[in-house]
Amino acid sequence: MNNRFVINYTPGPTFLHQLSGFTKVFLFIVVTVAIIATYDVRILWPLCIISIAEIVSMKPNWKPIIFMFLFTFFTVTIIGNIMLFVVSPDAGLNNVGTETILWTSASGRFYISKEWLWYIYVVWVKRTASFASVMAFALMTTPSEFASGLNKCGLPYKVCTIISLAYRTIPDIANDFVDIRNSMMMRGVELGKKAPLGKRLKNHVTLLVPLIMSSFGKVGNIANAMDLRGYGKNKKRTWYAEHEPTKYDRIVRGITIALGIATIVYILWARIIDPWPAKIWAPFVDKSAIQQISLEESFFLFRWLKGLFNK
Amino acid sequence: MEPIISFKNFGFKYKTQSSPTLFDINLDIYPGQKVLILGASGSGKSTLCNCINGLIPFSFEGEITGSLTVAGKETKKSSIFELSKDVGTVLQDSDAQFVGLSVGEDIAFAMENICMPRSEMAPLVMKNASLVGMQDFIDHVPFELSGGQKQKVAIAGVFANDVRVLIFDEPLAALDPQMGMTAVSLIDDLAKDDERTILIIEHRLEDVLYRPVDRIILMGGGRIVADMTPDDLLKSTLLKEHGIREPLYITAMKYAGCSLEGNRNLCSLEDLEFSPENENKLKTFFTSDYKPLPENQNEPIIEFDHVSFSYDGKQKVLSDIDFTIRKGERIAIIGKNGAGKSTAAKLLCGLIRPSEGEIRLGGKDIHPLTVKEIGERVSYVMQNPNQMLVKDIIKDEVGLALQIRGRSAEEIKNTTEKVLKACNLFKMRNWPVDAISYGQKKRVTVASMMALEPEILVLDEPTAGQDFRSYTDIMNFVNALNQEYGITILFITHDMHLAIENTERAIVFADGQLIAADRVCSVLANEQVIARASLKQTSLYRLALKLQLDPESTIERFISYEAELKGGEIDE
Amino acid sequence: MAEKSLGQKLLGTWNTKTIVAVAIGAALFGVLMVYGGVPVTTNTNLTTAMIIPVVVGAFFGPLPALVAAGVGNVIADLIGGWGMWFDWSIGNGIAAFFVGLLPVYGAYVTEGVFNWKHAIIYALCVIVGNGLAFGVVTPIFTTLFYGGDLNVTFIQAIAGSLSNIAVELIVGIPLMFILAARSKSRTNLKEEE
Repeated sequence: MNNRFVINYTPGPTFLHQLSGFTKVFLFIVVTVAIIATYDVRILWPLCIISIAEIVSMKPNWKPIIFMFLFTFFTVTIIGNIMLFVVSPDAGLNNVGTETILWTSASGRFYISKEWLWYIYVVWVKRTASFASVMAFALMTTPSEFASGLNKCGLPYKVCTIISLAYRTIPDIANDFVDIRNSMMMRGVELGKKAPLGKRLKNHVTLLVPLIMSSFGKVGNIANAMDLRGYGKNKKRTWYAEHEPTKYDRIVRGITIALGIATIVYILWARIIDPWPAKIWAPFVDKSAIQQISLEESFFLFRWLKGLFNK
Repeated sequence: MEPIISFKNFGFKYKTQSSPTLFDINLDIYPGQKVLILGASGSGKSTLCNCINGLIPFSFEGEITGSLTVAGKETKKSSIFELSKDVGTVLQDSDAQFVGLSVGEDIAFAMENICMPRSEMAPLVMKNASLVGMQDFIDHVPFELSGGQKQKVAIAGVFANDVRVLIFDEPLAALDPQMGMTAVSLIDDLAKDDERTILIIEHRLEDVLYRPVDRIILMGGGRIVADMTPDDLLKSTLLKEHGIREPLYITAMKYAGCSLEGNRNLCSLEDLEFSPENENKLKTFFTSDYKPLPENQNEPIIEFDHVSFSYDGKQKVLSDIDFTIRKGERIAIIGKNGAGKSTAAKLLCGLIRPSEGEIRLGGKDIHPLTVKEIGERVSYVMQNPNQMLVKDIIKDEVGLALQIRGRSAEEIKNTTEKVLKACNLFKMRNWPVDAISYGQKKRVTVASMMALEPEILVLDEPTAGQDFRSYTDIMNFVNALNQEYGITILFITHDMHLAIENTERAIVFADGQLIAADRVCSVLANEQVIARASLKQTSLYRLALKLQLDPESTIERFISYEAELKGGEIDE
Repeated sequence: MAEKSLGQKLLGTWNTKTIVAVAIGAALFGVLMVYGGVPVTTNTNLTTAMIIPVVVGAFFGPLPALVAAGVGNVIADLIGGWGMWFDWSIGNGIAAFFVGLLPVYGAYVTEGVFNWKHAIIYALCVIVGNGLAFGVVTPIFTTLFYGGDLNVTFIQAIAGSLSNIAVELIVGIPLMFILAARSKSRTNLKEEE
């Protein structure tokens, strides 16, 4: 199998690997919600560091992880920020609430503010934390633990079986795909850059038809094999992959619950009890100076529509 | 004793079909019996077993007439879940039924579905795994297992319930010869339990008879044609009439003019006691002079010149492969999965390039050629025709390669018609590809390759999943292409019958090395090669040993006699 | 066969076969997302993965298409290792629901029914579905979840939906015609001379 894949089909030896599926999924969900719900680097940095520490503790093969980190960094961060510079130099004002201009282009069309830099810094931390938590989860969880853990979290077991069955068939389908592509290349179907784009796309039909027909052709056999072993008979099912919680599972679950409560408390405090008027907290901004920016002013489509309307 | 399975005037018609698939089935199977249900494709044997395990009518809708009771339950009124408590089914496709992501999980699948707590599940999984000898593989993922191991897991997986009936649907279909033998022995061990009833559904009679069975039920046209002991069946003419291949040693006895009566234990070559008259006849036949097989003296068409290959530059998948194939030869490429035979085929097709050495086609290095250019000279036909078929109409499929190459409509039409005629598909040219049988689809894929007028045809497991009739059809067709157009044919195969009957030479791979490139009779008589390549001794070899004859010349005599017979047919 | 109600057509029938088919659809989605790129320029690929919800929709209806795309996307994110971006997964799921509406407007591809009228409705669904999913839903979630700038996200989403629309129309329509032709019931086959 391609070494770009980070998924493990067999559990690894380290402490985190040995936790039960539910513990892993629960931890992942809480961390993800915490990352999504906060724009505060004082919270995001610890979450990011915890996730990176998790990755380090599993002693992974670093090569693909670093490659993917750089790839994501390049596509999401660099390209995204160049676009941001062009279309939204006011992103700092919109999100942080003030504007301290540091540099302006000769035409005055482009500028960089202190808040704009702070904004891209916060978003970068948020994205990195998110990337690291997904990577940590992918490294520690086998597909079966993923499925059984989600079921324990309340997702219907039929959806969970879809996940584990999909993982089960991916390597086979990937092999079929490569075989079919080879066979089509030998028959002379141009899939590479030699053919013009429209034709190249159409040529992919000749690749997809046999792939789809042969892959979905397996459905009957697999479904029969499952029916014959009583699948779908009961409203619930148990999972071989979900082992009984150990002492460590209880500890990690306890920490996860504490983290969840802390997140809720933070949100209550930062949004309701003592609300910060801007979306993003910044250490150099005075609370009283923050301006509220409406969506019509910040989103170019609305600005443009409004302009049309006023005419 | 009460029968455990009892059919009374039973019939079944699929909802999607206009006429019934099973008629007038009256059959009683008693606890502890080991029964072989024999029949060609379309004889109704799989339908029969699906009635027993409840897939009919649960998964396949249709009309049931008469009555069928399994363990005292009328199946019409029962459910697939109820029946699964008594009947365990091991399906033909051991890969499809492996739904778990590890051995342990797959064995546990049925237990999970009845909500067994994990604390009870774990020891039971271990117990069932050791029943089939898979206890050391409990954490292995399906992608690391061979077909035979997956099948063992499938067997362990049906023991979650204390099943009394075990059904094996074509257990040998996906296995290489040695794994097939192991499977037959394992099934025999399971049959030792007096309470357990075993049904084997197969058309490979000789392979199943590697271990004894109590009864054979022969199916044909949706009816039970015969219900007798293996010996009686072998003596009858029913096998030939119903498209079942008889064991090779029986064919050899017939060639030698032996009477099948008067030999004890006819169904097992090891225990077979020939009558003195037959023994003499056999010895005379195999020691008589024969026309030596002709040797191909044409110019070389494929040359592997000390070829090595590695994916990562470290570990060699193939090392120092050196062989020559001459124009018009028919070659069997043999070896177990992972031995390197498919890597060699990929090298020949230019999909991967050698790390060392050179591959020559017609004397010229293929290195500068693109995959597409090589594809016009070497055609590769995949094992599963469904992975190749693109168009909806047969003639469009055959013309596809020409259409891609931008040939004129006129040329496409002419070449397609020529190929369709050569492949005996002309009358069906306007049929949809999904309306024809698996064997016919295979023929369409070969035809679609022939449109480019290749010099070499590589067929990957051309006979997999097909019964004897369809096998014979395809082989006759491929042999005709070889004789009439001089196309060189390479078969990648496990099937020793195919090698004996349809090829001149065999190239054998084991562990990334070429261990033999020799005449088929010499390869099959070489014990070391057979063992290293996971092949099975053919019964001809064992017959030769039993008669204290030289195996190589015995096999050669047999092949030569068959060639004469075939030549005779053509002359007539 | 009895005519199904609209609700049934939208939800699909969730028996074991559907579950397996959706799983295979998700696996195909994942595989095509990782391998099935059509190179446009050196660094850009059009992915053919978005064809899979169309097929699952044609075979089983829009909700199975949604689940196949959603699960497939999560899996592709995990095996591809580029991080899990829920904003895009949700968008893909919504788009999948729209492109998978085929049986709802009478395009029963499994029974061989797909004509130009269906192709036009399909094209409209593709455009509306992608427009809604990537023009509205994904930008909202990107801003909400990751604090992405609405302007940038909107432009990226438009680019993404244009490439999806291109693949779903240029590859999808011929594919539906072939799949329908291959699924047509075959009666009265006669040998011709």
